[in-house]
This record gives sequence, structure tokens and C-alpha cells, in this order.
Amino acid sequence: MIDLFPNAWHVARREYTTRVRTRTFAIVTAVLAVVGLGLALAPVLIRAIEGNSQTRIGLDAADGTVQATTLGSILNAGDQGGNGWQVVAVQDVAAARAQVRDGDLDGLLTVTRAADGDLAFNAFSDAPPTDLRFQQVRSAATQLTVADRLERAGVDPGRAAEIFAPTRFQTEAVDPNTTGFMQGANGVLAYALVILTFMAVVTYGTWVANSVAEEKSSRVMELLITAATPRQLMAGKVLGAGAAGLTQYAVVLGAGVVGLALQATLAERLLGDSGGANALQGLDFSILLPFTAFFVPGFLLYCILYAGLGSMASRQEDVNQVTGPMLFVGMGGYFASFVAMATPAAAWVKILSLIPFFSPYLLTARTVLAHNVQPWEWAVAAALMLLFLVGALWLAARIYSAGVLMYGQRSNLRSIWRAVRVNR
Amino acid sequence: MAVSLVIEHLSKRFGPIVALDDVTFRVEPGRIFGLLGANGAGKTTCMRIVLDILRPDGGTVTWQGARNVDLPRDTWGYLPEERGLYMRMRVIDVLAYFASLYGVRRADAEREVDDWLERFRIPEYRDRKVEELSKGNQQKIQFIAAILHDPDVLIMDEPFSGLDPVNSGLLKEAFLEMRDRGKTLIFSTHQMETVEELCEAIAIIDRGRVVVSGTVRDVRRAMGRQVVRLATDGDHRGLEWLSTVDGVTVTAHRQDYVELAVPAGTDPERILRAALDRGERVTRFEIGEPTLEEVFIEHVGQRADLEERHLAQGRTARGTDE
Repeated sequence: MIDLFPNAWHVARREYTTRVRTRTFAIVTAVLAVVGLGLALAPVLIRAIEGNSQTRIGLDAADGTVQATTLGSILNAGDQGGNGWQVVAVQDVAAARAQVRDGDLDGLLTVTRAADGDLAFNAFSDAPPTDLRFQQVRSAATQLTVADRLERAGVDPGRAAEIFAPTRFQTEAVDPNTTGFMQGANGVLAYALVILTFMAVVTYGTWVANSVAEEKSSRVMELLITAATPRQLMAGKVLGAGAAGLTQYAVVLGAGVVGLALQATLAERLLGDSGGANALQGLDFSILLPFTAFFVPGFLLYCILYAGLGSMASRQEDVNQVTGPMLFVGMGGYFASFVAMATPAAAWVKILSLIPFFSPYLLTARTVLAHNVQPWEWAVAAALMLLFLVGALWLAARIYSAGVLMYGQRSNLRSIWRAVRVNR
Repeated sequence: MAVSLVIEHLSKRFGPIVALDDVTFRVEPGRIFGLLGANGAGKTTCMRIVLDILRPDGGTVTWQGARNVDLPRDTWGYLPEERGLYMRMRVIDVLAYFASLYGVRRADAEREVDDWLERFRIPEYRDRKVEELSKGNQQKIQFIAAILHDPDVLIMDEPFSGLDPVNSGLLKEAFLEMRDRGKTLIFSTHQMETVEELCEAIAIIDRGRVVVSGTVRDVRRAMGRQVVRLATDGDHRGLEWLSTVDGVTVTAHRQDYVELAVPAGTDPERILRAALDRGERVTRFEIGEPTLEEVFIEHVGQRADLEERHLAQGRTARGTDE
């Protein structure tokens, strides 16, 4: 491994600079950064748009039943401090109904007092009974009815507030280590990291494979292989193209983090309140250190194998075909971590999380969701990762040196195996 | 003779195809050596084995007494048949990159590149992208890429293919320059005039076998015959009598002369005497050695006949099986 440098470094530097300098790279990175920023800000923007489109309902209430302001405050209170409801008292019922039909009003609520003294509500609207807004109106009506009954029963209005105080309701998990499937901000973080890992591995792995195949189809490889060893070329290729990929990745991720950090400020500007929108609050960022420690070598492992397989392709069009197996492995880790998130303490998850192809996904998921990774497990996973990296480099270099001069031959698992077994 | 490049008993199979079969020849240092052969004869495979890109099934390659597998990579300079450069990089960057892989520092590489671009009369392309260059100019860049690290042995696969006469001339000058610097040059080609012009020694490879090798003079002599070109005042088509002269065969009727093969041991002057005896007015009488073209066609052409016969037999055998 010592003989890797400085040639691997020369290869990596050329690969990195020529790639990063292209216009395509700049444009794609910029577009992806905007997308990342947009995704991070999406919740606030959606709320901003939703917030502006208030639900307006008309209230036709008989004297001594319900005030428009009372209904409005109950509805808005149920809207998590939002301001999404506007209740207007109407005089002309026929005109109000016409307004509902035209869409000027979202609904008309008629309140009368029935013969037995209870309040009676009639909702006139085109919303289906399962509509969330409809449900909110209904629960507000229930609250009004109960308050009205209490008042008629002679209960002190002051005590009514106590009666309507929020319920004390607490949840307790059977396994205290499990915060549960997809719970809270950390669950979202675990998801995000797994998805980002998968995307990086597949996207940039394909880059590396393409870059190798390109050198082969342009026949530069024949000259390279007389100048440097396959292992040097392979390592340099992976480091260079991988670093270019990670540069793009970091820019996009950076834009996303900036977006998350700006959420609260933006929410205040647009909505007039922060609404607890700071998405970074309550996140445990200590996970990022072990995540990075396993993401980077895991990423390199995938890239090395992508490069080896890429050298089997004679033309760019064949790259997807020959790198197919890697996509399956990558997707395997991706789906396994989704299943594993539901049961992060299961034995199979623990075993699988030590295997290099899956450890970047699963160790992250386990740490975030269950905090049950033992120090020895980190050590074993790291040792296996190192072992696999060296082995993969050896294997890929062999495929590479055999694949270099194979043109136009069919690329399948059998020919790969033959390539590895040939004497050179 | 330990200083020569010695290629001994190389054999290589690709599946059912025998690419090289007991290939043996020797290249003296400081010389220009031509590797001749039809397409698919095994020249490229042979070069790749010398460069240790490919491992042979059997046989060895030694240079100055050391096995090629033990030699440092910068012993060799290689110009592959299929041109390969990074099209979107600048000429100077591509060349400096290849040189860096051999441990040549950028400043040294640039100085050498400038020198060679001047020699090849394309200094203005230094900072252009490779893709902007014509094929011939790319070929010159490819040559520079092969020599920047000052290799002892230059191995070039069809270096003259696709070059116009002017560029061919420049490249030939570069070859001679490298030889004068004490380098050993090996190249493959189909152009026999180029070989006659540059090479001191050759090997002809046919279907994986060396059919003949040695200095150009020895190879010619080994043909065992001389060539006589004869022209007379009269209609040269009426020269049938020539075949009555012992051992002489007419090999070609040209526009204004006939070419005759004369076996070793026969005095060519007998032809002249016979012509004069018949009262012909001889306007041209020339004794020469066979051209390399003739040598090549004789060695490779004959074998081609054999192959056809083998193929025909193979087909018959298969036919009876069915």
C-alpha cells in the first residue's frame, strides 16, 4: 500500500480538478444547492402560503347562543396558535349560502336552540365530513355545547375553564431504549442520514465507474497503465472522483443546514411568529461524528468497487449494466436500515450493522434511535471496514488490470470472475 | 549480448485464439527495430507483453540482463496504436500529467515539452485543448507523452498511421534524434518504405510466429535470390523466352520492364547474355536484392495459402461429422 503515493495523488488531483472545473459540475451543484435550501425551507414556506389562505366561515347564530368571536378563538386555539380561521356573523342567510356556493365563504354554520334547550348546529359546506377543517368545526361545536350545558346547569363560568383544561396524557414505551419508529426530530435525522448515504453512494459511485469507463473508451488507460500500477490508478481515481462528489455533497448539505438554521427567522418574517419552527432544536448532533467516521470509508468502499466494475465496461452505455450488483448492495443497506429503524435492538440488526457495506447506514440508525452501540462494536466495525477497504482495492485493481484490455466482451459476473483469476 | 532486448519463447493464448506462439527475437540497443506483420499477427500483444501490461503464458523478456517484470516502469516509453489523450485538457497539462506519473517534475516536463513542440513546429498549441488539434498533431503529442520521462526503450505501435508526408518526415527525424541520444526504438508498421528508410533490423510476425528476423541485409540475403529488372526496346510482352533460362522466373510485368527472380547460384548475367544473343536491344538491366515488400509478401503470403488449405480441411472435417 505504501507504493500508492505519490502517483495516486497525481491521479486524484487531475481527476478532482478537471471534474470540479467543468461547467456542468458548477451548474448541477448550484441547482442541487437551491433544491437543498428549498427543501429545508419548505415547511415554513408551506405554512406561509397556507397561513395566507384563511378559512372563512359564516355564522348565523340565534340570539343568546354563540358569538362569532367566541367560535373564532376556539377554532384558532385548536390550530396550534395559528391564525387560520376567520368567523364572520351573517345577517342574510340566503346571501351567505350563495357566498358559500361561490367560494367566498368556506362554510356557513347555523346555530339554533332546540326545544330541549340544547344548541343545534347546521354546517353548510362542500367539504366532506372527513375533512380536517370540518372536524375542527365539529369539535369546536362540541366544546360550545358542553360549555352551554354547564352554564345552564349553573356551573360557575370560572370553573368551566378548569373543566376544559388540557388532558394529562403521557406515553411510556415498553423498551425504554426505544424511542420508537420515526419519533421526533432525531428520527427524522436518522432518516435523512440514511437517505443521504444511499444517494451519495449510488450517485457518486456511478461517477467513479463512468470516469473509469471513459478512460477506457478513450484509450487513455493503455498509456496510464504503463506509467502507474493499477492499484495507484484505482486509488487515485476513487479519491479524486470521490472527493469531487463529496464537494458537491457538502455544498448541497451546507445549503440544507443553512436553510434549517434560517427556518425560525424566516418564519418570524413571514408568519409573524416563530411557531417553534427551529428544526435544529432538540437534535443530537453528536451523531455526526461517528456518522462521518463511517460514511467516508464506507463511501470509498463503494466507490472502489464501482471503479473496478466500471473498468469492465467498454463503453459508457455499459456502465449501468456492469455496476448493477453495486446498486443492489447499496439498496440492500438502504432498505435494511428502514426495517432496522423499527427494531434497532434486534440481533440481526446488530450483526448486520458491523458489516462494512451496511455499517454506514445501520450504525447511524442504531445510534440515533437506540443508543445501543457498544464500544467493541465500533471497534469491530472499524476493523472490518479497514480490512474490506484493502481487500476491495486489491480486487478492484485486479479487475481493472484485466478489464483494461478487454474490449467489446460481454460483461457479466462470470467474466468478472475470470478477470480476477487470470494471472495478471 | 546481455545488453540487448531479448524476447524468448513468448506464447500467449486468448481463449481458443493463439496470439503468440514461441516468439523469439532480439533487439540491439541504440538501434531502430521494425516489427512487421499483417493485422492481427500479434504485434500489439507482443509489445504489451514487453511492457508488462500483459503477462505471457510462457517465455521471457529481458533488457540488459534484467527481466522486464523487475524493471522500473520508466524503462519504457509507449505509444499505443489506439491514440488516447484527455481531449478536454490543455496540451501542456496532459503532458505534464503523464510525466508526473513517472516522477518528472512539472518545470522539467514543461521545458522538455516546449523543446519538442518547437521541433514539431506546433509551439502555438501548447495551451490549447487537445480536442482542438488535428489527428496528426495529436499523434505528435502522443509521441511526446511517450518520451518525456527519458525512457531507454521506445515502443511504438503503428506510429506513422494516419500521418501526412510532412508529419511523417518530422516523426522520422524525431526517431533518428532519439536513436542518436542512445535510445532503442521498436515500432510496428505496414509501410515498408519507412522500414527500409529507418530500420536496421526487423522481425516479421505472422499469425503469432516469427517467420524471419535479423538485420535488414541478412533478411534480404536469406531470401536466396536476386531480383533482375530488364527492359528492351521491343515489346516486353514477347519475352517468354526468358523462362527458358535456367531457374529464372518472371515475377512481374511492369509497364516498361519485367521483374525476374534469380535463384542463388545462378549468375544473373546469363540473362543479359541470352538477351544479347537473341539480338534484343537491352535498355535496362538491373541486379538488386528483393525489396522488403517482396520479402514480406513471400513470407506472409505463402503462409496465407497454407491457412486457407487448413481452413478448407477443417470445414470438410466438420462436414463429415454432421
